[in-house]
Amino acid sequence: MRIIGSIAAIAALAAAAVANAHHSFAVEFLEDQTRTIEGTVTEVWFKNPHVRYYIEITTEDGSTESWDVRGSSPTILVRRGWTPKTIQEGDHIKVHGHLGRDGRKLMSWIYIELEDGTRLGSEY
Amino acid sequence: MRKLMLAFSLLCAATVSANPAMEGDWMIEVKPSGAAVIGLLEIERDNDGWLAFVEGGPAPIKIDGNQVAVDIDTRDIRGFVIVLKLEGQLDDDRLSGSYTVQSDAEVSFTPGTWSAVRFVAEERAKEPRPVDISGIWKPAPGVDFRKYSMDLTDEAEAWHANYLMHYDQPNVRCVSPGIVAMVAWGGYPFEVLSSDKRLTFLYEVDSEVRRIFLDDREAPEFYPGSGMGYSTGRWEGSQLVVETTHLSPNVRDFRGEPISENARLEEVYKLSEDGQRLSAVITLHDPENYKRPPVRRRAWTRNPDTEIYPYECDPDSFYRQMYNENKLDMYFERSKQRF
Repeated sequence: MRIIGSIAAIAALAAAAVANAHHSFAVEFLEDQTRTIEGTVTEVWFKNPHVRYYIEITTEDGSTESWDVRGSSPTILVRRGWTPKTIQEGDHIKVHGHLGRDGRKLMSWIYIELEDGTRLGSEY
Repeated sequence: MRKLMLAFSLLCAATVSANPAMEGDWMIEVKPSGAAVIGLLEIERDNDGWLAFVEGGPAPIKIDGNQVAVDIDTRDIRGFVIVLKLEGQLDDDRLSGSYTVQSDAEVSFTPGTWSAVRFVAEERAKEPRPVDISGIWKPAPGVDFRKYSMDLTDEAEAWHANYLMHYDQPNVRCVSPGIVAMVAWGGYPFEVLSSDKRLTFLYEVDSEVRRIFLDDREAPEFYPGSGMGYSTGRWEGSQLVVETTHLSPNVRDFRGEPISENARLEEVYKLSEDGQRLSAVITLHDPENYKRPPVRRRAWTRNPDTEIYPYECDPDSFYRQMYNENKLDMYFERSKQRF
């Protein structure tokens, strides 16, 4: 796990990052269903309109699944100290968020927990 | 959300013993634990009872004597629909009461109290008294209702029925949403550069640039329509009135209500006495699509400590998802429907 700068400061600055969506993710995500998943980051997509982390998780039966985890605009995250280097390929992260509609392996994060327990984002 | 909207639409507007003093225009303020939101509440008589509109959109109302109940549908910044269920009474020419919050989603909008006073349109001075609004402005929280449903014409309703929010909204594919949506967005600052004959607004979102001409000029012949349109402005007293025409067909907000090429956007900007807060009332005039003009209210605080950041957008992940889900054909077959 790479820790860039002060993660504690990033966590504080990134509070409520989820609240800055500028298009409706209510269309894609279930408002009343949340879940926590954890896995290894396989790709970082730190670009507008929305940051995405692709992560691989291991299910209970031992198989693997690839999930597309999405959050706010990078412009907004960067201003709060959450940069492309904050989470990188190979990092193990835990993600809590709204599940995608139609059983798709999509998640809109409410918060992301880093390996050292630091949480980025906040409960909405 | 369907259950919510169904309950919302079933609320009946009829009443038999309403106090006629309820009729009229009210400036309503709703006070959650966070920042308050304000908006125009219009209460009108109808053959079958009473009708109400908030910021140009329908708000089912029940009136019984001095008691009133109004439902206002709004959305949070993520697009989740919230219905504010207001109950209260008329007392000494003032409406007040409490409200609850109804939503299928976990939302941050808390229950609280509300009040409304008679709305009196402010008369703007004719003599120009320009004020200095140059600088960087950061969106303030709260301010307006983000009214969700609007009073659409039949043609607009028909078009909107076929709108798919995720696939058709311009900015999901990195196309600028245009000034009507952009001016009301939270999250991003903008910078104003001033000169005698022109104001230039530099928006962080989509790195858009907007020129507002103050010298009574008209748009050149054959000036093309676009999402940002052609803006002219004038000072009425210390308030800046900006009119924007030459808009291309577009959508107004997340929900996707249409905007026609003949639409006109009016923004009235006002600077606080201490010069630290800029507020605007934003009205979309587009009778082809709206029976009543939709209204937004926004405010920004002066923020000299930040900069306008670059905004680069790459639609790759948007198309990649459709590719992975075998939806690319569907997406392109909808191109004619999309603005």
